[in-house]
Amino acid sequence: MKEQNKVKINQLPTGVPGLDEILGGGLPEFSFNIIAGAPGCGKTTLAHQFIFANATVERPALYFTVMGEPALKMLRYQQQFTFFDAAKLNSAVRFINLSQDLIERGLQGVLEEIAKQVEAANPSIVVVDSFRTVLRSEMHEGKEMVVQTFVQQLALLLTSWEATTFLIGEYSETEVRENPVFTVADGLFWLFQQVDRNSVVRKMQIMKLRGQASVPGLHTFRITEDGLQAFSRTLGLVGQRKTFNRVKYLSMGIPALDEMMGGGVPEGDSLLIAGSSGTGKSLMATQFLAAGIRAGEPGIAAVFEERPNEYTARASEFGLDLQTPLANGTLEVIYLRPLDLSVDEMMQEILDAVKRTGAKRLVIDSLAGFEMALAPSFRADFRESLYRMIFALTAVGITILSTLEMPETFTELSFSSYSISFLTDDIIRMRYVEIDGQLRQILMVVKMRRGVHSRDIRQYEITADGIIIGERLKSFVDLVTGIPKPRSGVLRFDE
Amino acid sequence: MMRSADEPTTRELAQRLITYEGSQIDPADGNIYAVGRVCDKLRGPLATLVGPAGFCSLLMRALTLAKRDAPVLSAWEVRPDGSLEGLSDETTQMGAVLIAQLIGLMITFIGESLTLRLLRDVWVDLPDSAAMVERNESE
Repeated sequence: MKEQNKVKINQLPTGVPGLDEILGGGLPEFSFNIIAGAPGCGKTTLAHQFIFANATVERPALYFTVMGEPALKMLRYQQQFTFFDAAKLNSAVRFINLSQDLIERGLQGVLEEIAKQVEAANPSIVVVDSFRTVLRSEMHEGKEMVVQTFVQQLALLLTSWEATTFLIGEYSETEVRENPVFTVADGLFWLFQQVDRNSVVRKMQIMKLRGQASVPGLHTFRITEDGLQAFSRTLGLVGQRKTFNRVKYLSMGIPALDEMMGGGVPEGDSLLIAGSSGTGKSLMATQFLAAGIRAGEPGIAAVFEERPNEYTARASEFGLDLQTPLANGTLEVIYLRPLDLSVDEMMQEILDAVKRTGAKRLVIDSLAGFEMALAPSFRADFRESLYRMIFALTAVGITILSTLEMPETFTELSFSSYSISFLTDDIIRMRYVEIDGQLRQILMVVKMRRGVHSRDIRQYEITADGIIIGERLKSFVDLVTGIPKPRSGVLRFDE
Repeated sequence: MMRSADEPTTRELAQRLITYEGSQIDPADGNIYAVGRVCDKLRGPLATLVGPAGFCSLLMRALTLAKRDAPVLSAWEVRPDGSLEGLSDETTQMGAVLIAQLIGLMITFIGESLTLRLLRDVWVDLPDSAAMVERNESE
């Protein structure tokens, strides 16, 4: 059909951050939807967020409760959420109990009462909670047609009255094929609560949505005091990438290192600092952030092993003032609750912080800590998630510095235990070497995707003023193994 | 812990509702009591919210609690339709105890703010009912 002849389907905001994007813009107006899932997975809260986001006094929301959670208790619990607006109760949002109608008059009684209320109130939204209870009262042999007729009539009634509808039910996936309500529904939202070891991960799937393209697959969501927040599995992978007309180099805050890197980190790059414990990765990351603050570039630190105050306190031990930018909003330290995090949440948190602060620099300290903070089920595809996250964040133009703890071996030099070096544009390797009976530290710039860099292996020290880079260790060979030999007596091919 | 029904403000509100409904009764109507009118007016919106059976449960619980405070109410009962029976001229003086318990139960379940809003919607003519909600919100 020609574009101008198509009916325009209005999209309503769901009131759930992230869900509109998953749905392809919002919920189709006048659609007849089902929210399904096991008890406790957030079905009622999702419906409440939607009604409080859309209902008005002129076009209210009617919330029919049937035999499930008593409305008094529902109100008791739901008012704890920030989206709950008491001023809308009984005006824009009206709760109506249908239990008696179901008990005394069955499905026909329920249909008549809904029709009566809908005709009287002219609602824009209708919710029936729990719809499964309604149907189950007649779900026995020989009654299939009664149920099917009821569902058809209800859908017809509510659509005719221009209501967007949600039917809530504790359905199991095996019912999808047999229950007539799934055939009639325009939208099918399935909420899951998956337990993996000791952690719980919430996911949702839009199994069906007529009239528009939703994002397929399972999307994680979280329930907080603000209600549900959904994270599209394609978060950050769609949309325009920020491009730079010319390469701008960001200082690492260590002049000698900037020089080794050919001027600093190219803006928009992802830099990996790999090294074993105590080599100064976090300090280098902190110096990178502090240099940005000095240059008027707001920053974000995503830390997993210490709290924001501990982080700034440690910086101050090296003469770096992060407390002031933290207080004035040019620095944000994100400390996310550990152990049941999803990569999507982390990414959303950072993207929100970028919007808030206009950050140009991001430090993730460390990837190992990040992985540990994830729920076990997300650790399985950590590499893929990391790829998505780095892609999404660099797309908004932010420069990322990630630290990575490496097991120290004294026979070889590996760049990354996660095999993620391909994800990063630039790599700096820090490590210990044994020289003259001392454990000293060396660093090298291994990779700079966009430019020429120094090939030197240089000694460095961690001082009260931060990292001080020394000279190239010309007198030794095999430095990268950690057990160098004096250069004298060893014949090299260039000699 | 003090129950919401025992709060002076709840008792005062209950008494105001009784007084207000009492002032609306036409003496020619015979055996109509203010406490019965308050319960009848609450029955509509509460039954819509929790169903007629839910309203009966709440009122029965409120009456049980009220009888502890005022044994004189021992003859009062809740009919299956949610109305009161056994009221008499002698006992209705203590009607505010029952209403305070009913309001107290509502406050316990859904909080003071929502309860006052529900009451305001029922008694739109009650002097100061809107101000009461606003005061609560500002607090």
